[in-house]
Amino acid sequence: MEAAWQEGLFFVFATVITVSAIGVVTARNVIHAALFLVATLIGAACIYILMFAEFVAWAQVLVYVGAIVVLMLFGLMLTRAPIGKYGEYDNDQKGLAAIVAAAVFGVTAWVLIDSFEGVELPTDRVAATTSKDVGEAIFSSYVLPFELVSVLLLAALVGAVVIARRDERVTSRTIDAARREKAREEDV
Amino acid sequence: MNLPPIDWHAIAPELVLTAAACLVLVVDLFLPDEAKWIAMPLSAAGLFGTLAAVVSLLGAERVTLAGSFEVNDFALLFKALFCVIGLIILALSLDYFRDGRYHQGEFYFLLLCALLGGVVMASARDLISIFIAIETISIPGIVMAALRKGDVRSNEGSLKFFLFSVLSSALMLYGMSLIYGVTGSTNVDEINQVLPQQHEGLVAVSVFFVVIGFAFKVSAVPFHFWAPDTYEGSPPPVAAFLASASKIGGFVGLLVLMFRAFPAVAEQWRPAFAVLAALTMTVGNLIALRQQHIIRLLAYSGVAQSGYMLVGFALIGANADTNSQAFKATVIYIVIYGLMDLGAFAAAISFARRGGTYFISDYSGLWNRSPALAGLMAAFLLSLAGVPPLAGAWAKLFVFLASIEAQVYWLAVVMGVNAVIAAWYYLAVVKRMFFDVPEVSEPIETPYLLRAAMGLAVLALVASFVYPRLVTDLADRSVLESRGADVELSSP
Amino acid sequence: MPEGYFGQYFTIAIFIVAGVVLVLGTFALAKLLSPFQPHTEKLTTYESGIDPIGTGWSQANVRYYIFALLFVIFDVEAIFLFPWAVVFERLGTQAFVEMVIFIGILTLALLYAIKKKVLEWL
Repeated sequence: MEAAWQEGLFFVFATVITVSAIGVVTARNVIHAALFLVATLIGAACIYILMFAEFVAWAQVLVYVGAIVVLMLFGLMLTRAPIGKYGEYDNDQKGLAAIVAAAVFGVTAWVLIDSFEGVELPTDRVAATTSKDVGEAIFSSYVLPFELVSVLLLAALVGAVVIARRDERVTSRTIDAARREKAREEDV
Repeated sequence: MNLPPIDWHAIAPELVLTAAACLVLVVDLFLPDEAKWIAMPLSAAGLFGTLAAVVSLLGAERVTLAGSFEVNDFALLFKALFCVIGLIILALSLDYFRDGRYHQGEFYFLLLCALLGGVVMASARDLISIFIAIETISIPGIVMAALRKGDVRSNEGSLKFFLFSVLSSALMLYGMSLIYGVTGSTNVDEINQVLPQQHEGLVAVSVFFVVIGFAFKVSAVPFHFWAPDTYEGSPPPVAAFLASASKIGGFVGLLVLMFRAFPAVAEQWRPAFAVLAALTMTVGNLIALRQQHIIRLLAYSGVAQSGYMLVGFALIGANADTNSQAFKATVIYIVIYGLMDLGAFAAAISFARRGGTYFISDYSGLWNRSPALAGLMAAFLLSLAGVPPLAGAWAKLFVFLASIEAQVYWLAVVMGVNAVIAAWYYLAVVKRMFFDVPEVSEPIETPYLLRAAMGLAVLALVASFVYPRLVTDLADRSVLESRGADVELSSP
Repeated sequence: MPEGYFGQYFTIAIFIVAGVVLVLGTFALAKLLSPFQPHTEKLTTYESGIDPIGTGWSQANVRYYIFALLFVIFDVEAIFLFPWAVVFERLGTQAFVEMVIFIGILTLALLYAIKKKVLEWL
């Protein structure tokens, strides 16, 4: 009995994800696209909860909805682009992109259905992974990648600061070198 | 519950390198502008320390962290190679970053982080470690490529690299998640045991995604578009890093996955590698023929070289002998490629730093202006072309023999044709250096440090040609077999 | 009060639905009750009595992006604290040391940001 309403909820969330994902790529306004993305990500988080993957679900909400989309909105605010509906973001590769997307969808859907058809997912929590399991896995077998992630995040932050920060001074030497190289290139 | 103990000695190189990277970052923050270059000797000391830790592990066979981290001769060989490459890049960078004042401390920190990714990759034996390691190589690389902030080409190159890198990571991660989905394990040995019993279509699709992800990283055709623009735009020492360490990191990941995690389903992905290798060699060489800019020439020749390294993957089959021969040939090729490609970059950079340019036309008569530099450059180019008496010849020959042994004759033919095409553009540069009349005749002084590094590299190339056991012994010892698991390979 | 795994999420769902209904209901009520007499003056943005100029879009300074990025990085750090907190008691000192190293390395990011003066609000 329980499985039936879980399946029903799954289809509700799946519809939300599909509709808002299509919204992301078709929205004329980039801010709307970002907000559609929020709906997509929250829908995915709901499906994770349905599948008892609580940790992943809340990581999704906190990191992706709470931080990544905020970062994207910040990024949009940095641009000088107009955000009204007059913005033109299409280019001639739209059709090609649609074909590629459809092909990827078709192939993955086919192989997934083909190999997992008839497999029953657990409908109660006993068989599922808990946050405890995730914690134990991270701190025993995956501790090296876990520590490496901190170095990676540090490198990403240092990189972002180096690139985004205004330099205090550009030495006359670098400017001269740039001019020389440009002049040389024009000669060629 | 108690955690399984960690083998601290086994991860010593990683610990030393992490500490060195953090130290460089912190020390740089407190250095005055004139003294920022001190970060370079500090980084070099860190790499020597890492190298010492690697040496202390020689001959060790250790597995720790629940089988996800393995130290053996294969891992140690590549750890040492990453350290040596790092040291050569440091020697290349000092002048460049000090004179240009391009964020020296950050550059050295990022370089050490990227090398840390490579050092971890050499030992990583599970999907999560491999993925994080390849990202730790790529992301600092993207930032380093953008360090010439005032230069539009640097920005463009870095952005292209970033977009391709993100796309490839996404594909790779999706493929890995599918593999975890069907096998229920992230460990390469367990995957290899379970994978053949799974649904063929799904296995093929997921391996395909992973391979495409790595194909971007090693700039295989048709996923190579970012490489020439990024190499040209980024600071030249960074281009040298991307062409050597970054690419080798990708290949190490591929070696672990293809020879250890997926060999049981080899018949499904082997043809893809054959096509990839043939395309990569041919397209890379044909485009390289028309290049006027030495960095772009090296970029396209690097693409072609990736093709030779991919050949080994197309030979994996049921026969354990041909498998191990293909594996050894690929390992030898990767090690020698790292040395000679880096050498060519070093020679090009030191020429451009001392009055020259990156345009091949300016190489005319270099022999008259600086016999030493011309000789070194010629040695590296000839080695890349596979001309004896340099180790590049052995590298090509071993891959060639491996494909004959595996009876994949058409790939051997493609390799032969490509060696001829490649010889054409390498020899064109050499001829220009030795026989053309120079436009300017001022002599060129190469920096002392660089000349020593390049001299050692040439010495290593010649020595390993004369005495090939230097490299074949290394390759013989570096096996990548799973212990305890008796795995049946699929028949071709 | 519903029990169990889904029961708890059911409670959350009730709160979400109540929140949505409350907001939408208030708007609907306002729509129903308020008089509707459109006029151009009423549609302009109210900006303390001064006529608004240009569009509502203004380009933000790149420096704010670093704040957002710092936030992402420490958000990821916080995420890893949750599974750690759940198992910390059972795993003991080693897990503690591992977490201290993780946070220690990320603290360098903060030190770097402070020294590079990107945290100063201009």
